Amino acid sequence: MSDERAPGLLAGNSLNLRLARRSLGLIALCLMVLPFADLAITTHDPWAELGRMLTGLLHPDILATESLPHAIALTIGFALWGTLLGMLLGFPLALLFHRSRLVRAGCAFVRAIHELFWALLLLQVFGLSALTAIAALTIPYAGIFAKVYAEILELTPRAPVDALPEGVGRLSRFVYAELPMVWARLSSYTRYRFECAMRSSVLLGFVGLPTLGFHLESAFREGRYAEAGALLWVFYLMIASLALWGHRRLLPWIALGSLFLLGPWPDIDGALLWRFVSVDLWPKPLLEGNWSGLWQWFGEIPDLLPAIGNTLLLGLMGTAGSLLVALLLWPLASRHFGNRPTRMAGKGVLILMRSTPELMLAFIFLLVLGPSMLPAWLALSLHNGALIAFLVARHADAIVPGSHALPASACYAYELLPRLYGGLLALLFYRAETIIRETALLGMLGIATLGFHIDSSFAYLMFDQAFFLLLVTAGLNIAVDALARRYRPRETADTASERDHPAGEATC
Amino acid sequence: MKELVHFDGEALGHARHTVLADLTLGLQDGQRVALLGPSGVGKSTLLATLRERLGQRAAWCPQEHGLVPPLSVYHNIYMGRLEHHSALANLVNLLRPRRDAWRDIQALCAELGLSGLLKRPVVQLSGGQRQRVAIARALYQVRDVFLGDELVASIDPYQARRLLTMIQRQHATCVIALHQRELALTHFDHVWGLRDGQLILDAPAHELTLADLDTLYPDAGSTDTRPEPA
Amino acid sequence: MRWLLACLLILVSTAASAETFRFTAIPDADQSRLQERFDKVAAYLEKQLDVDVEYVPVKSYSAAVSAFRNDQVQLAWFGGLTGVQARRLVPDSRAIAQGKEDAEFRTYFIANTHAGIKPQGDDLPKNVQGKTFTFGAKTSTSGRLMPEYFIRKQFGAPPKSLFSRVGFSGDHSRTIALVESGAYDLGAVNFKVWEDAVAEDRVDTDKVDVIWKTPTYPDYQWTIRGDIDARYGDGFTDKVRQALLDMDDPELLESFPRQDFIPADNDDYQPIEDIGEKLGLLR
Repeated sequence: MSDERAPGLLAGNSLNLRLARRSLGLIALCLMVLPFADLAITTHDPWAELGRMLTGLLHPDILATESLPHAIALTIGFALWGTLLGMLLGFPLALLFHRSRLVRAGCAFVRAIHELFWALLLLQVFGLSALTAIAALTIPYAGIFAKVYAEILELTPRAPVDALPEGVGRLSRFVYAELPMVWARLSSYTRYRFECAMRSSVLLGFVGLPTLGFHLESAFREGRYAEAGALLWVFYLMIASLALWGHRRLLPWIALGSLFLLGPWPDIDGALLWRFVSVDLWPKPLLEGNWSGLWQWFGEIPDLLPAIGNTLLLGLMGTAGSLLVALLLWPLASRHFGNRPTRMAGKGVLILMRSTPELMLAFIFLLVLGPSMLPAWLALSLHNGALIAFLVARHADAIVPGSHALPASACYAYELLPRLYGGLLALLFYRAETIIRETALLGMLGIATLGFHIDSSFAYLMFDQAFFLLLVTAGLNIAVDALARRYRPRETADTASERDHPAGEATC
Repeated sequence: MKELVHFDGEALGHARHTVLADLTLGLQDGQRVALLGPSGVGKSTLLATLRERLGQRAAWCPQEHGLVPPLSVYHNIYMGRLEHHSALANLVNLLRPRRDAWRDIQALCAELGLSGLLKRPVVQLSGGQRQRVAIARALYQVRDVFLGDELVASIDPYQARRLLTMIQRQHATCVIALHQRELALTHFDHVWGLRDGQLILDAPAHELTLADLDTLYPDAGSTDTRPEPA
Repeated sequence: MRWLLACLLILVSTAASAETFRFTAIPDADQSRLQERFDKVAAYLEKQLDVDVEYVPVKSYSAAVSAFRNDQVQLAWFGGLTGVQARRLVPDSRAIAQGKEDAEFRTYFIANTHAGIKPQGDDLPKNVQGKTFTFGAKTSTSGRLMPEYFIRKQFGAPPKSLFSRVGFSGDHSRTIALVESGAYDLGAVNFKVWEDAVAEDRVDTDKVDVIWKTPTYPDYQWTIRGDIDARYGDGFTDKVRQALLDMDDPELLESFPRQDFIPADNDDYQPIEDIGEKLGLLR
């Protein structure tokens, strides 16, 4: 007791101090690499275009889009079937997840490739069909479900199993004493993922599948902002009203009904499929066993190292940016701050920010700031930061503060943040993998990330190159995920809310 | 009299540390044992070891109940005999209760004051009701020896006596951990007392007084004789 | 069980409606109400060809190419480069018609007035060096292939080393918007899209204007699969070509938008193929 001095700044070994050091480390690392990022602001007069956009958003033209109900139905149908099949595949895999390295690696691989790239790949075989769309969601989702379900199952309370008599079979034990204990969590996660699937389903429209995104992207790209505005509103409404129409009694009927809209199913040309898998995806020299040719093939891949560098750089900056945005924004939607109207508005803003596709956010910033990494950075930070903020606010709402008379700043700093921070950081580190995946989508800004080159390879129909780059991307994602897992805070301040919401829900 | 389990200078505990050292003890067939001692002294460890040794002969009612809250009272009790049916039968039973099992469990519930609650999820029950569901599950096992860990902690004294009588009517042999010292003397014929990792009391109930039992507790003599909450 | 039945029903119903003749087309600009507009084209073709004709909406040229390759469409309105891509993937497929404008297509280089670049004679002005520049879509003939070709030809260097920054806006309309806003100093754009935008007053020519018009080259064309005669009857390819050439309803032609269609064949696009190979966009 003799040397109980006040500790130095950030010194000490408490949980939150360790977390704070870790976050500051992340931000410091981000600042260190910032000079390598291209952040020039080069624009002159964005206001005319922005004005047109705003006008469109405020005067949406709901009738401009033809077959809007059909597009909405397909968006929901793809999302629903993708989630459903992903769940059916992912669940058995979750049971094997901790036992088989192969299953873990396989899941990590399918997860690491963005839905849009799956769609581009499958498009070559199944064409523009519901099969492409549903498989593009199902495949990565199976991997995600396997991982998150496995994490949830791992947390199953042991007491009921211990209370069972000896000699109960594995299956009986599982369905009586294990599954019911985690059912609520599994189904809440599945529901959350369905919302993610809605977003992904819209995104699939960007590569030409006939969802809302198909029309949204065309209208936005061609500057028909009244139509784009209407479509965005429709999309926000669909997400916001999910609780109303996404009832568990209603969903099977929606799934069944949407089946009738999903056709025509493609005739799968076996020869074409085989050629694609066995020839098109592989470098020609490799198939011929021509090693020097392979070296040359390798040399033709444009700028691989800079692409990896850009991808990692943007990923790191996006992660640090999301942390700051999430810290600033979560009180907007929390019951501890403001009053009812401000919270409604706050929630609205967060839904808007996390539901607007990053690609659109990035385009708006591109107009304002000119081409550089800056628009992409802002878009990634805002989108992902808002998403994390939303989840953190939900966790915060489950906390009952000890003293009531605190001013808002003290409540934030002393009551809530210390309890939430571990969870927030865990969400962020989960999210890092997703952010890396998303950097791929921002190639249109002229930032040559891996995704930019993958998109090019698909456009030039050089599938072998695209496939190779996809493998590199997947490897990179897996590495980042492993790193994030290594530094993810494991021990969190123990609140009921955090136990109810596994951090896996950030992997949207 | 036959001895069912015997410990001869054994050490019980978990992988890393010993909870009960140098334990010498025997459980006789037909013996009703009250297990006393302060919280954390190793009562649960001793019961778990007894359960292990007795295997199929022991019915088991753990301290935290080990119930599955989202499932109904019926299904929770049914789990007592889960190993008697095939996996398929168990699956079907989740959707549509077996008629014979339903009848038996209904009768059991009537005795335990749980009538009309069979279909209710355990999560909606009070603490006392849950305790009785846990006891019902153990009774439904129909075994020779009843092992119970603080079964009557959250139940009023009248109910507690009634439940103990019921359990003992069905099981000639039982070992039940408790805090209520009066019950130990009135409803059991033998007492094991634990303190500081040792068995310090192993005697017939009729030879003991409440004062003898007080020596098991560190704060003996204080006015607070209420059981600690489980 | 019910679900299984529903699935079966759908499979059967789609199998029954096979051998419809399907086509796709993407206009250079204005992709609004595609279905409505091209359903009229489908109705016209149906009348001329005497088979069921259906329009398949497609978003990008690469999606159109894969639809063509997968036989989801048998006829497609392609850009110059994408047509070559498609014909290399589907043996025996051929170009049958092009727009009147497509025989002599051009790219316009446009610049934001702030960049201070004035048109000078027959060449791209020298002072574009060091500016920022955006192409359109990556496989657009007028927005990517030909402008890159002319840049390399004049400066002997790839765009990446000529300009301080090179982007891909993804679309001609976006190129105009980005250059008008000053996000990029320069852009390369399909001449028809530019002229339509100016005519309809959708662009402020005080802020952005043309600084160079490229020489002409062949662009958009109708391409048809090679196995068509075997599947739809002898001479079907010629019937399709004739129907396209006979299309004279301005309302139909407006969708493409072209004045008229004229005959074309694969050889017309040899220059495009050569340039594509040279730039490494084809192999």
